[in-house]
Amino acid sequence: MIPIFDYILLIFLIVAAVISLKVKDLLSASMVFGIYSFLICLLWAEMGAVDVAFTEAAVGAGVSAVFLIATVYNTKRRSSD
Amino acid sequence: MENAIVIISMALICVGMLFFLGAAVGIQRFPDFYTRMHAAGKGDTLSSLLVILGFSIFQIYDLEFSKDWFSHNGVTLLVILKLLAICVFIMMTSPTSTHALMDAGWEDGIEPKLKKDKPNNALKEDRK
Amino acid sequence: MKWIALIAVTLTGSLLLVGVGDFPEWGDAHSAANEGPKLESGEQIATAVSQSFLTDTDELTQVPNVVTAVLADYRGYDTMFETVVIFAAGLAIFAILRVFGGDEVKPMRAPEDDTFCEGDHSRIIIGTTCKLLIPIIQLFALYVIAHGHHSPGGGFQGGVIMGASFILLAIARDLKSALDWFSEKTFMRLASVGILIYAGFGVLCQFFERNFLDYGALKTVMFSSEQMARSYAMLGVEIGVAFTVTAIMFAIYANLSSRGELKQGL
Repeated sequence: MIPIFDYILLIFLIVAAVISLKVKDLLSASMVFGIYSFLICLLWAEMGAVDVAFTEAAVGAGVSAVFLIATVYNTKRRSSD
Repeated sequence: MENAIVIISMALICVGMLFFLGAAVGIQRFPDFYTRMHAAGKGDTLSSLLVILGFSIFQIYDLEFSKDWFSHNGVTLLVILKLLAICVFIMMTSPTSTHALMDAGWEDGIEPKLKKDKPNNALKEDRK
Repeated sequence: MKWIALIAVTLTGSLLLVGVGDFPEWGDAHSAANEGPKLESGEQIATAVSQSFLTDTDELTQVPNVVTAVLADYRGYDTMFETVVIFAAGLAIFAILRVFGGDEVKPMRAPEDDTFCEGDHSRIIIGTTCKLLIPIIQLFALYVIAHGHHSPGGGFQGGVIMGASFILLAIARDLKSALDWFSEKTFMRLASVGILIYAGFGVLCQFFERNFLDYGALKTVMFSSEQMARSYAMLGVEIGVAFTVTAIMFAIYANLSSRGELKQGL
């Protein structure tokens, strides 16, 4: 565990979370959400919880991004708020 | 011997990082979608390959050369093998994903940026 | 409305942050979770549960990866209902989105021509790469499922990777060719069979007059010691989880991407 690396990851995590909430284009929002998933996966792997990190990499970054994009494709692309 | 391994792996990782930087600058600075994807695809592939090769060469440092070295070094050999497998995987997937993105952009109707005196009639005919 | 939501979120967040203050330090060896509960006078009354997980698991279950042992054996009941939750998610998607009938959509390519790699130049590269990669991805998924005892992994992760390989096929070609491999009948059956396998291991233990999901009872069926019976039963349970997760992941994708018609994907 390297504290400075943790802090950098946490800052990026917050930035990615805020961007994915703020962005109007829902496709971009789901891509940024994938970045968020990868960052939190990296954080968990770095803290030693390898099983959880593996699950996050497979489910959060891999499959749920595809689900979100499939949903955006079949609904409208702009967020209303 | 050991110093040489460390130096080679460090050099590979540093060169890989340099290519990553080049890819990032390319994404920022190039004018249109296709040139940006060109920078991202090529720089990303090469730099990932170099960095992972550097890791796998660094793992040779952990090998112990003795009489029955194969049974001693099983774990290290497995790590090297897995890293090389990741190399092969990246070499196959990364250019393909770049190509798929380019193709999707072309089908979506993104115009490449051409010189002003060059008409892009040929491109329009190709699209039809 | 937005302001009310903002106030609620801020309140909850600050309450959680106040709660964090009561946590022990990260990696504190003397916290209750690591050392065990203590009396006021400082007398140790019991060792911690986490300590006994770390020291006794290898002896009791012959599984080196403690996480898998905890997930599939110590709290097997919990994991069973996690699988049921995933199954319920798939059923919910099916119930909300699935549309039967509707207009006949012409498929992007005729199903009989298998000229996936020839013609249509923009598909050659993607098609060839997917042909090469999908077997490797599926092999890796099987490795993750089977090797969950010794390294990170297990039924959930392996199942998701297996489902992702079918999703890759559906994206790279079209949904129809993926459904030829893995039809709707197959995946809905597979999802139920996965949970049946899991619950079957639990009920099988009850036939030997032990508790539900007490895998040690299976030593006569597995022809091995009680410890190895636990290890084997965990593998069986993980395979059941992987069946359900694979099927449900592909079911959710197929329904979401085709508006529930299962005719033409993205």
